[in-house]
Amino acid sequence: MRPAEDIKKLIKNLNDTTSAQMDERVLEDALHALEESEKTTSASIEPNRWRIIMKSPITKLAVAAVVIIACLIGISFWRTSGSGIALADVLARVEKVKAVRSKFYIKISGDPNYPWSLDNPRSFEIRETFLTSQEYGSISTITEYGEHDPNVGESTLRESYFLPQKKLTIVIEPNQKRYTRYDDSQVDWHENQKFRRDPLAFLKEIADHKHKSLGRSTIDGNEVEVFQSTDPNYFGRGGYKNRQVDAKIWVDVKTRLPVRYDQRITAQRVYDGKWSNQQYLYYDFQWDVPVDAAKFEPVIPDGYKIADNFPELANEETAIQGLKQCVELLGNYPERIALSYLWSEVEKSDTPAALRLKEEIKGLTGFDRDQKKMDALKPMRFLNKFYLGPASKDSAYYGETVTPKDADKVLMRWKVSDNEYRVIYGDLHAETVTPEKLAELEKALPK
Amino acid sequence: MLEDKLLVLKCRHGSKDAMCRIYQKYKDYLLTLAKGLLGEQAEAEDVVHDVFVSFARSARHFQLTGILRNYLATCVCNLARDKIRSKMRRTKAPGLVNSTISDENDPKQRLMEKEELTQLRLAIRQIPYEQREAVLLHLKTGMRFRQIAKLQGVSVSTIHGRYRYGLDKLRSMLNSEAEK
Repeated sequence: MRPAEDIKKLIKNLNDTTSAQMDERVLEDALHALEESEKTTSASIEPNRWRIIMKSPITKLAVAAVVIIACLIGISFWRTSGSGIALADVLARVEKVKAVRSKFYIKISGDPNYPWSLDNPRSFEIRETFLTSQEYGSISTITEYGEHDPNVGESTLRESYFLPQKKLTIVIEPNQKRYTRYDDSQVDWHENQKFRRDPLAFLKEIADHKHKSLGRSTIDGNEVEVFQSTDPNYFGRGGYKNRQVDAKIWVDVKTRLPVRYDQRITAQRVYDGKWSNQQYLYYDFQWDVPVDAAKFEPVIPDGYKIADNFPELANEETAIQGLKQCVELLGNYPERIALSYLWSEVEKSDTPAALRLKEEIKGLTGFDRDQKKMDALKPMRFLNKFYLGPASKDSAYYGETVTPKDADKVLMRWKVSDNEYRVIYGDLHAETVTPEKLAELEKALPK
Repeated sequence: MLEDKLLVLKCRHGSKDAMCRIYQKYKDYLLTLAKGLLGEQAEAEDVVHDVFVSFARSARHFQLTGILRNYLATCVCNLARDKIRSKMRRTKAPGLVNSTISDENDPKQRLMEKEELTQLRLAIRQIPYEQREAVLLHLKTGMRFRQIAKLQGVSVSTIHGRYRYGLDKLRSMLNSEAEK
C-alpha cells in the first residue's frame, strides 16, 4: 500500500503553469479593470450620500415603488417586444414540441496558422441535419464538411447519436469505417445542448439575452417576425474582445414557431489580436415531425471497427497484450505498471524490441518523439488503464517475482464478484478462481 | 508577507507593475488549485482570470487583513464552487466540435500531462468536492484546517475528517500504482 506521505508528496508536486496566451488575456483584462477602477473611484463616494438619503423610511418606500413600476414596465416590454410575439412564449411552445428536424450550416473563418479549435479556427464549413426528439435523444448527420484550405481539401460524413436514455453517444464515421462509443453517464443532457449544437440551445440563447423586434417580413410566403440580439455577451466566452454580435431569429406569426436562426459573431482574440468570424445558421425547421424509436437505434455496418477509445478498449484481452509487450520490450515483467516507470524501463532496456523502438525514435524530438513513443507503447497503456480502471477492485500485481515461465503463479489478480477473482498467470493464461484458491496461489508466491 | 502588503498598497495606488507582480507570483499556484478543484483546464483558466480581474477591480479599496495567497486561494475556491454548483460537472458530449476541441485521443492533449499525474488528477476528481477542497487547500496551499473550516463554514473537526477521508480515498484509488 502506498503510504499517505507519497500521496501528499504527489499532490504537493502537482504544478500547472499558465500559458503565455493566458497570461496576456488575464493581464490585459486585469490591468484594464485596474484602470477602470481609477475612473470610478470618485463615484465610490456616491454610495455614502445614497445611504444618507436612504435613511428616511419614506424615501425607501418611494424608491421601492419606483423600482417595482420600472420592473413591471420592463417585463411587459420584454414579454412582448412591443410587437405581439414574445420570445419567451415561442420558447415555451418549442419546448412542447416532441421532435424537430432542422438543417444547420456553420462557417468559421480565421487564422489558418493556428491549430484548429473554435478558439483558433481555420476557415471551414459544415452542413448538418438534426433530428431532435424530447423522448429519444438526437441524431446529427454531417452531410458536408470542408476545410477551406486549398492544401487540405477534405470532406467527410459523420453520424452522431446522442442517446440520453441509454446515457450513451455513438459516433459513426463511414469514411473511416469506424465507430466510437462514449459513456455519457456523467453528462448532463441539458447542460450539453450547446456542445451538441442542438438547435433548441440557440433559441434559448436569444431569449436569454437582450433582444428587440425588427418588425415583420415574409419567408416562403409566410409572415414572420424578426428578432435581433446584438448583446456583446451573446454566446460568449472569455478571451475575446471587440465582439460584434448579430443574432436573428425569424418566427412564424401564425404558428409562433421559429423558421430560421442566423447568428454571426465577429471577435478579436485578446492575446494576439487575430479576428475570427463565425456564422451559425439553422433553417428548414420541421416541427413536430413523427419519429420512430427504431431510428434512434444506431446500426453499425458490418466490417466497421471500433475506434481507439481508451476507456472502452482497456479490457482483459488488451491488458494481456500489454503484458506481452512488457516482456518483448523489457525481457521480463516490470516491477510496476505505472506508465512513467514503464517508459523509463524501456529507455534503459536493450532487448531487440526496445533497441528497435529506440532506433525508430532516434532523431525525433519533442512532440514527434513523444507521439511516436505513445503510439508504440499503446498496449502498455491499455494495461495501465485496465489495471487502474476495470481491474482496480481488490487488485494485486506480482511482476517483481513472477516470470513468463511461471505458468502456475499469479501475476495479476482482481476481484470480479464477492466469491470470484480473476487471475492472470505468469504464462498469461487467465482463469476465475475462488477467494480460497487465490489465497493458496498467493501463499505459493516467492517472498 | 511584507512584500505582498507592499504590492497590495501599490495596487491601491494604481500600480500596474504591482498588479503584474502579484499575478506572476501566484498565477501557477492558483491555476493548479483551480484545476485540481474543477478538473478542466479551460474552466480553471477562466476562474483564475475572473479572480484576478475581480481583484484588480477592487484593488483600490482592498484591505489585506491576512495572507494574500490565502485570500486569492479562497476566491478561487468560491468561484470554483459556484461553477460546480451551477453546472455540475461540465462534461462534454463528443460531437464533432467537442472531439476536435478536446478529444481524449488528441495527441497534443495527451502529451500535455504525464499520465501518472493524470491518474492523480482523475482520482482527485472522483472524491467528493468538500474533501477535494480540504485536501488541496491543506496540501497544495498550506492552509490551516482552521482557515479551511472558516471557508467551508464547518467545524475544524469536520475539516479534519474531510481531509482524512479524502486522502484515504485517493490512497485507495492510487494504491495499485504503488503495489506494482
